[in-house]
Amino acid sequence: MGLLAIIICGGAALACALLVILSRNTVHSALWMVGNCLALAVLFLLLNSQFIAILQVIVYAGAIMMFIIYAIMMLNLREAGEDEFRKSLLSGRFIVLFLFMICLLALGLGLSPMALKGEMGPHSLAKFGEVNLIANYIFVQGIAAFELVSVMLTAAVVGAVFLARRD
Amino acid sequence: MNDYQSVYLALSVILFSIGALGVILRKDAIVVFLCIEIMLGAVNLAFVVFSRANQSAEGLFMVMCIMAVAGAEAAIGLAIFVLLYRKTGTINIDKFNLLKW
Repeated sequence: MGLLAIIICGGAALACALLVILSRNTVHSALWMVGNCLALAVLFLLLNSQFIAILQVIVYAGAIMMFIIYAIMMLNLREAGEDEFRKSLLSGRFIVLFLFMICLLALGLGLSPMALKGEMGPHSLAKFGEVNLIANYIFVQGIAAFELVSVMLTAAVVGAVFLARRD
Repeated sequence: MNDYQSVYLALSVILFSIGALGVILRKDAIVVFLCIEIMLGAVNLAFVVFSRANQSAEGLFMVMCIMAVAGAEAAIGLAIFVLLYRKTGTINIDKFNLLKW
């Protein structure tokens, strides 16, 4: 049952990621990316981390993807020259990347037999992703990093406004 | 304890590779940007898997930081794309060979 859910959502995520790469229209790529984000959110739910799943939907599928689609519509792109993309699928770069992918897959499968640490059991696993545990970590141990993240976001927005202004 | 960690990790690796493939092969800057987002999502999945295996919230905090970095990157990157489009009329990354006009 659990494996079936993982395979369905993972297959959806992989199919959406492939369609992001393969579709010719940039807007279609962005919309398939929204599908990829939603499938990843379901995978996070299957991993007992509800808060991260909600953040994934709100931040990625809601804010960032809307921002990207808005930028695509501002840029008024003409589709041109994607034919060499199909040709370059058979080039040497792709073969090198394929070997890299095989090595990464071997690495992922080799890392996998990591046992669950801490108190195991369905109850503690279900409690793992609760927002009070994450909030306790953020505001006790990670408070400096959290504040630095807010500074980084402010700097990014100010920098974006500075870059895109008309002079 | 049926947790399919190897399935999740393999999924994460394949998603990361698809993102890397798109970054290398595509020429459209926005699609390259979307592929970077795919890679960040794959890394988030691996972080959540290992954080769950260790029963600690540190990985989840890293995931939140990665999401914040992705948001900042979207703001800066799209501003740069708008600027490049205004200067050159295209966002094909093969056309960009200068750092400063």
